[in-house]
Amino acid sequence: MSEFDVIVIGAGPAGSSAAIKLAQGGMNVLLVERGDPPGTKNVSGAVLWGDELSKVVPDWERSAPIERYVTRKEVAFLTEKSKIAISYSSQDLMERKSGKIIVRGKFDQWLARKAKDAGAMLVTGITIDKLVIDGGKVIGVMQDGDVITSDAVIVAEGANPRVLINSGLRPKLSDHDVALGIKETIKLPENVINERFNVDSKGGYASEFVLGFLDDGILSGGFLYTNRDTVSLGIVASLDRLRANGMTHSYDIMGKFEEHPFIKNLIKDGIPDEYAAHLVPEGGLASMPKLYGNGYLVTGDAAMFTFSNGMVLQGINYAITSGILAAETILENKGKISEETLSNYVNKLRNSYVLSDLYTFNGIQNVTWSDFTQKTMPKILDSVMMSMFDERGMPKKHLMQVLSAAVKSNGMKYTELISSGYRMMRKM
Amino acid sequence: MLNIVVMIKQVPDSSEVEIDPVKMTLNRTKARNVVNAADLNALEYALRIKDKVGANITVISMGPPMADAAIIECMARGADRGILITDRAFAGADTYPTGLTLAATIAKLGNVDIVFGGDETTDSSTGHVGPGVAEFLGIDQITYAKEVDYEDGYVIATRDLEDGDEIVKVHTPVLVTVLLNSNVPRHQSLRKKIDAIRKGVESWGINELGLKPEWVGLRGSPTIVRSMKAIKEPEHLHKTITLDKIDEVVADLVSKNIIKVGGK
Amino acid sequence: MKIEEKLSLLNYKTDRSYAHITIDPDICATCPDHFCVFACPANCYTLINGKLNFKYEDCVECGTCDIACSHGSVKWTLPKGDNGVIYKYG
Ligand SMILES: Cc1cc2nc3c(=O)[nH]c(=O)nc-3n(C[C@H](O)[C@H](O)[C@H](O)COP(=O)(O)OP(=O)(O)OC[C@H]3O[C@@H](n4cnc5c(N)ncnc54)[C@H](O)[C@@H]3O)c2cc1C
Ligand SMILES: Cc1cc2nc3c(=O)[nH]c(=O)nc-3n(C[C@H](O)[C@H](O)[C@H](O)COP(=O)(O)OP(=O)(O)OC[C@H]3O[C@@H](n4cnc5c(N)ncnc54)[C@H](O)[C@@H]3O)c2cc1C
Ligand code: SF4
Ligand code: SF4
Repeated sequence: MSEFDVIVIGAGPAGSSAAIKLAQGGMNVLLVERGDPPGTKNVSGAVLWGDELSKVVPDWERSAPIERYVTRKEVAFLTEKSKIAISYSSQDLMERKSGKIIVRGKFDQWLARKAKDAGAMLVTGITIDKLVIDGGKVIGVMQDGDVITSDAVIVAEGANPRVLINSGLRPKLSDHDVALGIKETIKLPENVINERFNVDSKGGYASEFVLGFLDDGILSGGFLYTNRDTVSLGIVASLDRLRANGMTHSYDIMGKFEEHPFIKNLIKDGIPDEYAAHLVPEGGLASMPKLYGNGYLVTGDAAMFTFSNGMVLQGINYAITSGILAAETILENKGKISEETLSNYVNKLRNSYVLSDLYTFNGIQNVTWSDFTQKTMPKILDSVMMSMFDERGMPKKHLMQVLSAAVKSNGMKYTELISSGYRMMRKM
Repeated sequence: MLNIVVMIKQVPDSSEVEIDPVKMTLNRTKARNVVNAADLNALEYALRIKDKVGANITVISMGPPMADAAIIECMARGADRGILITDRAFAGADTYPTGLTLAATIAKLGNVDIVFGGDETTDSSTGHVGPGVAEFLGIDQITYAKEVDYEDGYVIATRDLEDGDEIVKVHTPVLVTVLLNSNVPRHQSLRKKIDAIRKGVESWGINELGLKPEWVGLRGSPTIVRSMKAIKEPEHLHKTITLDKIDEVVADLVSKNIIKVGGK
Repeated sequence: MKIEEKLSLLNYKTDRSYAHITIDPDICATCPDHFCVFACPANCYTLINGKLNFKYEDCVECGTCDIACSHGSVKWTLPKGDNGVIYKYG
């Protein structure tokens, strides 16, 4: 007899959601988290998109610590001197409340508490070393030499999957599997945020940036989200480009972003309150570990379930959904856990947006992390805008003429622009 | 087997306590609650004695219901039993009734050989409680201990005093207050933490201890706080000195009679 | 704001009994790229007079250096228990 029905490793969104579902299903669950309290080790933007959590915590928005709802969404290209943005504010966005801006330090603690309330045993301040595998079956976890047994283990350890690596269940990460996220939280008074970002006290501004101004081959996206009385500012930088460059410090990319005139203005008079860094899964299907095995399932970032296309970065919703689906799979196979029964987890993922998105957008990282998207396109757009609005008393030109001049001056052929643009549209 | 009691207090993590810029008071609400750091050093010495000769370690704490997490953490490090002394009547206690209440708890446990505590807390840092408990119990005390050992009925401890170390050997029963950072506390264990959660923390109130309401809490506190003032830190003149300039700096300090170099 | 100042905003519980990341100085001595120095967001790897210097106390446990070092010098583990960085916001 195992000591627990299920052990869940990690009380992030994936692990806590799984634990809630399992406890609600009457299972004897152990949820182990190294942070004390949960959330103190985690870094995220963070906009939580969608309403998946209501499957395990109905009415969750009432008690969850939500900072603001996204009412203004922007995607912006930053060149050295310009910002070209698509800005979307909509009554619908406001009414549907589909984007909730959260602070993980508070949110994860709240969600883990829900797991405890549902009946899971929550143990914080403990780091699991590895899974215990006996005759090809995962029979529990190991911590400091002690073995705690369970019928099944859900791995929800996040983007730095040490347990899987230590257990020989996935190779070490490489430059292509993950990007490096760096984030700063900056204090600004609530009313200043409302005014500066043109939102009311419940509404929030969320923007993604393409950092086209970075040189020497560095590729990085940026983000800025408004919390109640702080602003989250961060970058997500490609590791293989950083390596190829070989002389830029990762933290200097963050420094350049916050020093960019447009960003500097937005955080003016803000008081930096925290600096943080975390990996972000970026590799898509190619980076995924085996998602299930005899006695274990892998969820959330540990399974590399994230989606980013330059316009949004999503992972929390994928984590929650995969956590719930993993729990469902175990509940449905109580007393007959095996590699075969657990394989149904993958079917569930395929039928949900988690894996279908990853299949649909497979290879999107080659587009978002390309010079075309991050460098050439912003520059072309910049030249086009400049020649459209730069009134010098010259005769006006057709847009096509302006465009082709801009393309040429950026060292590109027109046909290349069309094929790159087409590739991009197809992937997105 | 020895009976050891370790007194611990849950405090806000001192590095996270912020000073309210307007009211100039401490804002503890945002800070994480942790076990007072010196109390973990005290627990570690208790555990070393347990490892050496065997002992039953009971952790006691007076505080609000949420302080049970601090006790569970101590059990996850190896303590055998946890008691939370909690009651509305205890609220607002200064160090006198705190000492009295803890002493009553230890007396009720009975047959205690060694009582451990931190030398002081990071949130009030009076250092009163340990000595107070020893006096209420009428037992010997060893304060400022930076090394603690046990042998054949005696506690042998090194006290860190201003003018040097003092090594004392005291027969049990004895109370020992332990200096912050005097050892490296062992880690929590998952096995022990699960067992601790299952076992749970006992909760004792004023009735269990046989104390009268007028002896404890605010009513039993002789200290009257008249006012509190925030002291502004003087501005420091920060100067960075590179190593190659060190000779100049030393010469300057010597010429100003601030330091002396070489000999007497 | 300098990286040192940014790091000083952080709160840690430092484990004095266990360094969760270690490097092999012999491997680093012949390293052609020192990519860890550039990759680490917390400035834990620095070059002092051409010699690699590593301090685990400022580490935010992101895991980047384990990927960055392609020469097998970095031995990477998580801190024990709840030690290490403590984020307020994260
Ligand atoms: C800078 C940045 C910005 C982001 N912005 C967004 C955003 O705006 N919206 C969005 O949806 N997503 C965003 N993401 C992605 C999102 O944060 C992740 O996809 C999400 O957190 C994954 O959840 P998870 O539960 O799988 O993992 P995590 O949230 O990483 O949780 C894993 C948990 O496991 C614990 N743990 C790890 N190892 C062990 C162990 N051995 N023993 C015990 N406990 C362990 C950790 O402490 C942690 O609590 C962002 C990520 C970054 C880095
Ligand atoms: C002038 C003054 C006025 C105060 N007024 C109030 C007040 O009005 N209301 C109020 O709530 N508090 C008040 N306090 C705080 C209260 O007196 C202390 O928190 C409490 O009595 C413990 O004292 P300490 O933290 O200084 O412990 P110290 O004497 O510094 O602690 C030494 C050791 O004693 C043990 N110990 C201390 N407290 C406990 C405990 N509660 N449980 C178990 N072990 C413990 C620990 O081992 C600790 O390391 C006041 C403090 C002062 C100095
Ligand atoms: S840790 Fe690796 S990358 Fe860094 S100097 Fe040493 S060998 Fe080079
Ligand atoms: S884990 Fe991250 S923060 Fe820590 S040393 Fe490595 S790169 Fe630096």
